Amino acid sequence: MIGRRGLMIGATMASAIPALTYPDPAQAAASPYMLGTLFPMSGPNAEYGEIFTAGADMALAHVAADKMLRRPIVMKAVDSLATPQGGAIGMSRLVNVDRAIYVLVGFTGVSKAAAPIGMRAKSILVNGGGIGPDLAGLTPYFWNVIPLANKEVERLAPWAVAKGLKRIAAVYVDDPYGIGVVSSLKSSFSKAGGKVVAAYPISPTDQEFAAIAAKLRAVKPDAVYFASYGAQQSEIIKQLRNNGVTQQLLSPSSVDIPSVHALPQSKGLIYTAQSADWNSPDPVTRRFVQDWKAKYHKDPVPYNQNYYNAVLLFALLASALEKQGKPVNGENLRNQLLAQRSFPLVGGTGVFDDNGDISLPIVIKQFQAGGKVVKIA
Amino acid sequence: MIAYLVNLATLTTIFAVLATSLNILIGYGGIFSIAQAVFFGVGAYAAAQVALHVTPDLLVASAAGAGAAALLSICLALPALRVRDEYFVIASLGLQMLAVTVFTEATPITGGFGGLVGIPPASLLGLPLTDPNAMLAACLGFLVLVLVLTRVLMRGSFGRSLMAIRDNDTAAEALGKNVMVLKTLAVMLGCAYAGIGGALYSAQMQFINVESFTLDQSVLIMAMVIIGGTGTLIGPLVGTVLILLLPAALSFIPGIPPTEIGVVQQMIYGLVMTLLMIFRPGGLVTLRTRRQ
Repeated sequence: MIGRRGLMIGATMASAIPALTYPDPAQAAASPYMLGTLFPMSGPNAEYGEIFTAGADMALAHVAADKMLRRPIVMKAVDSLATPQGGAIGMSRLVNVDRAIYVLVGFTGVSKAAAPIGMRAKSILVNGGGIGPDLAGLTPYFWNVIPLANKEVERLAPWAVAKGLKRIAAVYVDDPYGIGVVSSLKSSFSKAGGKVVAAYPISPTDQEFAAIAAKLRAVKPDAVYFASYGAQQSEIIKQLRNNGVTQQLLSPSSVDIPSVHALPQSKGLIYTAQSADWNSPDPVTRRFVQDWKAKYHKDPVPYNQNYYNAVLLFALLASALEKQGKPVNGENLRNQLLAQRSFPLVGGTGVFDDNGDISLPIVIKQFQAGGKVVKIA
Repeated sequence: MIAYLVNLATLTTIFAVLATSLNILIGYGGIFSIAQAVFFGVGAYAAAQVALHVTPDLLVASAAGAGAAALLSICLALPALRVRDEYFVIASLGLQMLAVTVFTEATPITGGFGGLVGIPPASLLGLPLTDPNAMLAACLGFLVLVLVLTRVLMRGSFGRSLMAIRDNDTAAEALGKNVMVLKTLAVMLGCAYAGIGGALYSAQMQFINVESFTLDQSVLIMAMVIIGGTGTLIGPLVGTVLILLLPAALSFIPGIPPTEIGVVQQMIYGLVMTLLMIFRPGGLVTLRTRRQ
């Protein structure tokens, strides 16, 4: 007779059975191209995982509808948990079990942990979310389809100084992304005739900013530039405004997420982002925006665009390799990228450098009432 | 598939070393610390620095990791062992929070939040461990060494004295046991093991940053020990296998939409853990022993 212990062990082991019986996709169907996503799909950063996945999904639909490739694409999602350990386990699973040749990734710690595994397996990793300057050239198989933060600051500084925002106070997460942003901020504003008059580091887990607001009121800058990510950004905006910081708020593109759009205090906030003119006549952009609005009844955000572009880039590269009769693998994809360099993507022509990092025009945007965003430069 | 299983097995072996390290404190010494990830991190950073600047030899790196963690453990043991039970938990929590800040701020040593990248592949006595199977074998070797040493020590006078202190430290002191010294040695031993775990982790991952050494990690290690069964040699190993392999197994459930995959997995994982604690409150291995 099976006792409680037997039932418990049975229930526990039952969850492991699929691991033994689920067929190896590479064996079960040799034809599809295996792609993977290594996004946070649970926990406080799951919002990003959903945003990233939505962009990739739309590109998959378009690639299939256009019959761009001779073989179908299968996309396998693995939860990275937004931790290096989760990233390493997930990446190992994607390249060794699912045989993914092209993996979309989004967080800095996850990217750095997954990069050596991708390098060993010669699988391409594509980042469309992290903008820390230290993500450039991580390995030859690690590409960025998002302009890194230093490019955004270089675009903002001359514009801000021309508008009279010369004395800048910075609030930044104390990690490579935040440090990189502040470093660019100091050099770019100095070159443009402005100055960073104060810089306050915060921990990525901080949720209390009243003390920083008090310091900012004392410094009296022309504008406050903050570099953070995720839900912390909403807290920064809300608490600075509620604690009497009335100066112009500035930020990089990480602020462009639905939770910030929905925040009343974000009205007037100015930020930089890669070019995403949703009214552009360019056919790739027009189709993306039209289908996005039809499906979601709102404008896409740059993260949607980036991961759409990441999948579209794969399709363009694989299509070129198919025409040349070459196998579609990480090494050939990389060679094709370096040979071709420029691609018609959403937002315009994306040009890649030797590291596999994209260059796209940067624009300046502002939040209006109701979470609406307008391009101002 | 085999390469994935080897990678998973290697990580499981490393965390088994780590769970054994905490078992010395909780299971044998009755010292409830929630700062084990700190010593894991100290070992990892020390070993990574050795690998980056001196030699990638795993023995040297592990010795550095174990030494650094054991030395730092004195900082915890000497002042904190004057308190016990829930007060020690709070003291260790303070150390955990402090350490995360230090790991984040000590950029020249830890690389700050960005961590240390490009840690070279490990070698052992001149033999490269670039092959994942070789790395697994090396980690298994370290685990066996740790387990054998633990068994020998816990069956000797040190272990018996430690368990006497765990059960009733006042009585043990009345019988002439030096509680402070024994507890300090237990903390040093447990933390040295954690340092070895950290060294193996940095060699396996080739990248470390503070995100791997947070309070969440400490709680995860404690869950491995408690679910597996404290005060037994095998219990923490069973707990480690369950906690690390269950989420991996859940990732193979077919038919879940990509955007729901994390939520579904976390719900099943949480449910299984809760059921285990309801039906196995003393841990998997401990209860079986009692029944027998």
